[in-house]
Amino acid sequence: MGRPLSPFMFPTWYRFQISSALSILHRLTGVGLAVGSVLLAWWLIAVAAGGQVFSATHAFLASPFGVLLLFLWSVAFFFHLCNGIRHLAWDAGRGFEIRTAYQSGYAVLTATVVLTGLAWLAIWLI
Amino acid sequence: MGKTRSLSDVTALRDENVLRRVRHLGSARDGLGEWQLQRKTALALIPLSLYFVVSMLRLATSDQSTAAQWLSSPVPALLTMLFVVALFAHALVGLRSVLLDYVHTRTRLVAAELVMQGAIILLAGAGVLAVLKLFLAR
Repeated sequence: MGRPLSPFMFPTWYRFQISSALSILHRLTGVGLAVGSVLLAWWLIAVAAGGQVFSATHAFLASPFGVLLLFLWSVAFFFHLCNGIRHLAWDAGRGFEIRTAYQSGYAVLTATVVLTGLAWLAIWLI
Repeated sequence: MGKTRSLSDVTALRDENVLRRVRHLGSARDGLGEWQLQRKTALALIPLSLYFVVSMLRLATSDQSTAAQWLSSPVPALLTMLFVVALFAHALVGLRSVLLDYVHTRTRLVAAELVMQGAIILLAGAGVLAVLKLFLAR
């Protein structure tokens, strides 16, 4: 059963398409967000525990590595949110035409950049 | 290949699926529940996650007491707990479908699923408990 899996098809047989690229990204960001949710649970525990635990958590999140993690998390979050809404529209039977699917794909990418930018602008301004 | 393996060992099917297949009854017909759970939690997570992220942006530079005070008020406490539950339920379905695609040995699949599900339930429980502690102590 040592047959190759589909990603093997990518560079050789499949031409790059935004549709398949976003589909793979949806899964990647989903797994990333699941891993990142460890940080969410950790933060909630840190607030509840207070004292040393909270200050250590806060220091970690404010460090360059922590901010990098939060930035990647925010990009993954906004992408998965926007593309998830696109998937829900497909589940409702809408937006299947190739032209529409491509347009909604580019709209998802634009919205991800805009929302991530707005979120970090908000932090910077506060 | 060499050694022959049983059907249940080389496929990623669950017990009820194998049984139905042996009896020529087709699929186990229980996939829709999971499909619906993924979509319903997705719908719930749109407002819940946006609420949580916007709240986090406001709390980003605040100290522990501000964050604790926010988490202990009724509406944030309720919505955060619902967010945590919906998030981990959504992750449970999503991660399982990834495992089904990439883990092809039955023993490994069962082991990976158990580890993943255990970790997710632990995280969800810890998150809910943390919010409950703050809410009940107010």
